Amino acid sequence: MTSREKILAAVRANQPYETPLPDVPDFGGDSSLDRFTAVLQGIGGQVVEVADAARLDEVVRHLYPTARTVAAEVISATVAVTPETPIETLAAVDLAVLRGEFGVAENGAVWLPGANMLHRALPVVSQHLALVLRRADIVATMHQAYARLGSVDSYGIFLAGPSKTADIEQSLVIGAHGARSLTVFLV
Amino acid sequence: MSHSQKSDLFLLDQERTTWHDETLWFVRQKRDKAVYAVPEFQELRQLASDIKDHTLSRLHFYLQQFEENARRNGVHVHWAADADEHNRIVLDIIRSQGATRVVKSKSMLTEECHLNPHLIQHGVEVIDTDLGERIIQLRDEAPSHVVLPAIHLKKEDVGETFWQHLGTEKGLTDPQQLTEAARQHLREKFLAGEVAISGVNFAVAETGSVVVCTNEGNADLGVNLARVHIACMGMEKLIPRLSDLGVFTRLLTRSATGQPVTTYTSHFTRPAEGKEMHVVIVDNGRTKQLGRPDFRASLKCIRCGACMNTCPVYRRSGGHSYDFTIPGPIGAILSPNIDMKRHASLPFASTLCGSCTDVCPVKIDIHTQLYKWRQVLGQAGELPASKKWSMKLLSRVLARPGIFGAGGKMARHGLRFLPHGLTHAPGYNPWAIARELPAPPKQSFREWHAQTVK
Repeated sequence: MTSREKILAAVRANQPYETPLPDVPDFGGDSSLDRFTAVLQGIGGQVVEVADAARLDEVVRHLYPTARTVAAEVISATVAVTPETPIETLAAVDLAVLRGEFGVAENGAVWLPGANMLHRALPVVSQHLALVLRRADIVATMHQAYARLGSVDSYGIFLAGPSKTADIEQSLVIGAHGARSLTVFLV
Repeated sequence: MSHSQKSDLFLLDQERTTWHDETLWFVRQKRDKAVYAVPEFQELRQLASDIKDHTLSRLHFYLQQFEENARRNGVHVHWAADADEHNRIVLDIIRSQGATRVVKSKSMLTEECHLNPHLIQHGVEVIDTDLGERIIQLRDEAPSHVVLPAIHLKKEDVGETFWQHLGTEKGLTDPQQLTEAARQHLREKFLAGEVAISGVNFAVAETGSVVVCTNEGNADLGVNLARVHIACMGMEKLIPRLSDLGVFTRLLTRSATGQPVTTYTSHFTRPAEGKEMHVVIVDNGRTKQLGRPDFRASLKCIRCGACMNTCPVYRRSGGHSYDFTIPGPIGAILSPNIDMKRHASLPFASTLCGSCTDVCPVKIDIHTQLYKWRQVLGQAGELPASKKWSMKLLSRVLARPGIFGAGGKMARHGLRFLPHGLTHAPGYNPWAIARELPAPPKQSFREWHAQTVK
């Protein structure tokens, strides 16, 4: 008998009588931009409103004057990144500007599917990360977030703020392994 | 050594004990603040509990559904009956790649299986990439908390460790600078990693996806730079539907640290083009626990650590005093299932105050299970002799009102006349080591009652 068969047989023998699977209600909630912004700022993220979407490029450059290597889908890039880009090139990226699908007001998270990442490692390997989000695309809670997703085909992250740690004496430090800062540009 | 003996060692440093106690209580308070801000939080706990109960009741089905969907997504699924088989499978995958450099993100399961020593023994470099895990790996210690693995250490300890291993300046204690040093050191490891190992927070049966939650981003960085991803999961990590994640992601981090959600909630369904993804499903005693009606609810645990942060015993004894991969109240009900004799003292490392049960996001009746384990241990003859005989004696006294009354009288008089050094001698009155006995009353309640109520 393989381990698979052994384990499944033991599970079948030991699992209790079936109990019902509950439906998860929607619970409603606040899906306002204000709420999303306040929560994201509270966890170390930055929110920038871009009044004129045509000037996005300019606004981003203005905010990151020292970023020399910029990988981007939504503004002009200085380095082209694809799934085949070698690791050394990825490691040198100062700023990645990617398109977020929607934000979650209750926790400041933005859904970033693999298809929007140029390379799956880009959002975490880049020193800084900027996500561009349409201001209408905010849901209240994670229930609505998953309802909107429906499925996760290959890979995706709910990304809430910059990389952080509190592993040394519970002192919060921003910039653990992933992006040192996160800015959401609302268009 | 028993839990209380190990706690004695922890308690030698009073200042540190107080710091540990207060810091974890602070985390508990952050949890409360986050929880009270969600009006439906108690409903979410009930939903989470019901979803987990249901999943365990149909685990046979969901395991196969998950396997089928994961395979369809191009993921290799492996089954491991115990820790040895798990370690063998992981090593085989690494070897089949001709790889020697492995980066690992947080996984309590691989700690449970002692994967690292196994890999190192076979010539594989394995680097823990979670900051707290890396610190304790460099110090050759075990994690002392499921969410805050290095909570037993002070920044001075970390500075010393980094000075020795990473070449930082001696005496460096600034968390920001220490973290930056670790970032630089670990970046090199990430960029060179050939295989990435991760744990699994949730495995979704209907999609075949695994979900990993981190704040540092180390799982995503490791997995997406390496050629191969190996996700190691205990079989109880399953949930039926993608929509169930709505419930669990809302509960997990609020309960753990008081954050609204982890920075990265990452969903791995398919490997990237040209890469490989493996999932190892591990039993290692879980099916046995599933067959114990009194204790199977412990398999609902989502490893948030809330029961540790709130536990008055854990906070004042430290994670290492439990001498088990998962410390604290939840560890004390999981460990006897693995080795009852070795962990016999853990269900007693509790005041049964029930605070763990109150904060548990999946409503595990932790303190009730602690109490039930005590009964099981008593029947199995695993109680220490002092406990066993004193309980026997006490039950005789309590069953005989005459002896009870005489004993009370003797104690009241004795306490008045015997010298303090004798009544508070730590040798046979350990209760009085840090406490004063109350002044004895002149008469007992029964005497008072007989006099007053005619």
